[in-house]
Amino acid sequence: MKKIINRIKEKIEIVSLKQRDDLYFINVKEEHIIFLLSYLKEQEGFTHLAFLQAVDYDKYNMFQLTYMLYNYDIKVNFGIKVIIDREKSEMTSIHKLWAHAWQYQRELHELFGINFPGSPRVDESFVLEGWEEIPPMRRDFDTKEYSEKTFYQRPGRSTNDPKEYMKEKLYKNFVEPPKIRREDD
Amino acid sequence: MNLKDILSPFSVWKRAVKKPWTIKEPINDRPGAENYRGFHKNDFDKCIGCGSCEEICQNNAIDLVPVEGQETKDGDSGLRPKIDYGRCCWCALCVDVCPTGSLTMSNEYTWVTDDPEEYRFIPGADETKWQEEKKGYKRSEDIQLINYDRAEMLEFEPKDRDKSFIEIIKGYNKEQAMAEADRCLECGICTATCPAHMDIPAYIAAIRDDDIENAFRILYETNPLPEICGRICTHNCETACALQNQGEPLAIRWLKRYIADQISPERYKEVLGTEHLADPILNKKVAIIGAGPAGLSAAYYLAILGYKIKIFEALPDAGGMTRYGIPEYRLPYDKIEEDIDYIKALGVEIQFNTKIGKDVSLDELHNDYDAVFAGTGLHLGRSTKIPGVDNKRVYFATDLLREVSLGNEIDVAETIIVIGGGNVAMDITRTLARLQNQKYGKVQIITTSLESEDIMPADREEVVGAREEKAIINPGWGPKEIEIKNGKIKGLHVVKCTSVFDNEGRFNPKFDQNQKKFFAGEMVVESIGQGMDLSYLSEDIKSSLKLGPRGRVQVNENFQSDLKWLFVGGDIIQGPDVIHGIANGHVAAKAIDDYISKNM
Repeated sequence: MKKIINRIKEKIEIVSLKQRDDLYFINVKEEHIIFLLSYLKEQEGFTHLAFLQAVDYDKYNMFQLTYMLYNYDIKVNFGIKVIIDREKSEMTSIHKLWAHAWQYQRELHELFGINFPGSPRVDESFVLEGWEEIPPMRRDFDTKEYSEKTFYQRPGRSTNDPKEYMKEKLYKNFVEPPKIRREDD
Repeated sequence: MNLKDILSPFSVWKRAVKKPWTIKEPINDRPGAENYRGFHKNDFDKCIGCGSCEEICQNNAIDLVPVEGQETKDGDSGLRPKIDYGRCCWCALCVDVCPTGSLTMSNEYTWVTDDPEEYRFIPGADETKWQEEKKGYKRSEDIQLINYDRAEMLEFEPKDRDKSFIEIIKGYNKEQAMAEADRCLECGICTATCPAHMDIPAYIAAIRDDDIENAFRILYETNPLPEICGRICTHNCETACALQNQGEPLAIRWLKRYIADQISPERYKEVLGTEHLADPILNKKVAIIGAGPAGLSAAYYLAILGYKIKIFEALPDAGGMTRYGIPEYRLPYDKIEEDIDYIKALGVEIQFNTKIGKDVSLDELHNDYDAVFAGTGLHLGRSTKIPGVDNKRVYFATDLLREVSLGNEIDVAETIIVIGGGNVAMDITRTLARLQNQKYGKVQIITTSLESEDIMPADREEVVGAREEKAIINPGWGPKEIEIKNGKIKGLHVVKCTSVFDNEGRFNPKFDQNQKKFFAGEMVVESIGQGMDLSYLSEDIKSSLKLGPRGRVQVNENFQSDLKWLFVGGDIIQGPDVIHGIANGHVAAKAIDDYISKNM
């Protein structure tokens, strides 16, 4: 695996590298990703695309995509991470490299709003039929607000605020802070 | 294709003769995985009803409800989570956030009933078959939604502080304070424990929003001595903090200090909206005896309400025990002044060096004022009364601390023994250690207490600090006799104290007379508690009052005595500590206002 990493280094810049025995992660630049994936698939035996996932780093205005590859010969998982602009939220499709990637891309399009132009049926609903909100895996999606407005409360529910409840139970005679007394009071 | 492939689909036919899975016959032979996120469990012994589970739930599936048998008390709201399984999505955020670790999940995932209301249940209270199940989801150590470590507080190293009275704790800067404030869960359980019931979550939220002026206003709602309390409050609130169950409690006291330190004294009136507070709008006067925390607090809230206030103080400066009992390295005098100057700026007059009962009588105050509040504190030392205490080189800690604060020189011996295990004992130990260092260049002081190390009443950091400054703290000994030769103290004989309290929790020390020890020293300081000086109460007045055990004046819940015009609070009623005094003063101020308004 070291040799593979070294061969990659000769070809492109590796931003960072993390490793375990059977699992490697590298971060690369966006412009190198298609080249690197084809190279790993065709030349280094990483023939299987296990999954493609995203993480929303909204504070830094970016998405991180992870392409998880697997090599059946040396039994190594290899995660290729790349940062893309959140504003643009668009990435080159890889369905020509792995046909089943269209399904992952369709999922990311729905859940994160990342577009993959040219990817088959990328606009179709994946699991969220009739979804009208912002993509739910984006961090600015307010899950609680959505659940409150969408799903009605079962009748008969009531709750207590610990601070107020303890006041009621333990120090009912609490002296409220005085207001400044003025002439007209 | 072989024969097996053709036949195997037909194997499902074997179910055709079995009973179907139904409510009566659920699937029960497929246990969830070891770490499965199944139905909730809650350990009631650990749960404190803080509501963090409710707060984090993204589905609004959790309510906090009272549960029979769960008492509301310090550090426990008595409320418990009730989960609506019509909304729960088993994400386990509630388990991950739980600051006590009481909430977990079992690996049980089937629950069949024909009553949908049953799916709203209180784990731990409602009987379930999975309550005892060991398997299931628990927060793993590498998932931390809560930061359990305090933001670091900088302080002077022992070598840089042990010769002077420089303030040890440096205080948080903005970054540290924001980081610390960010740890607060805002459950509000601390508020009940604080004697003044300060709105702690609100002022911490204001720090997080970087709205220090608002935070400052929140402090003054219930506490007009934030510079003092931010440094030396006994911080009972921190013992109730939800975080202390699995980590370090929030540094509430240091955050209060941070707020108070950010606002410069000349801006107090502007920030607190008292710029236009003119002369007292009421033609009513209240006299206050003692410019300690209780008296100052009462004075502040009465001034806000428009009364003319005069405080009579026996000593030359205000602050009471915070000035004359607490050493400067814990609470610098200029910080006390910041709090007091503001109260004075509201028109409160303080007459110093005036002892009631000697310079002015209580009867005169009664005649000249509409009401009187007495917060005279505990300034007398209490003695062990062992043989030898009448020697002139035996002192009370309170007397020595007062002398130091007054700026008077103390005849510090080269070797000293302190008797006592509370914060006052640590204060005098560390004060004398500094003076020894200044005079002799070294520290030779032994402090011993009845209480063993684990039950010493002093704050842990005080004991640690004293040891860092090379004092010897040797707890767990009962003083027996001070050995004196030719009028000079040689040292203190002690015997092992095996227990301090009996089974009912009453003070009843037991000793092992066979385990003896001798501490050598030329000077002994007693610091085993303080007493009150009520000599200002004339016999006439005393006969109209109800006096409790140890001569304590009995007051109602508003700190009003049987003489309706006389209110009493502070250390002589509750505590002793600053925050009880402040709380007493606040309550009494309201009661005095009610009393005077009624008589108008």
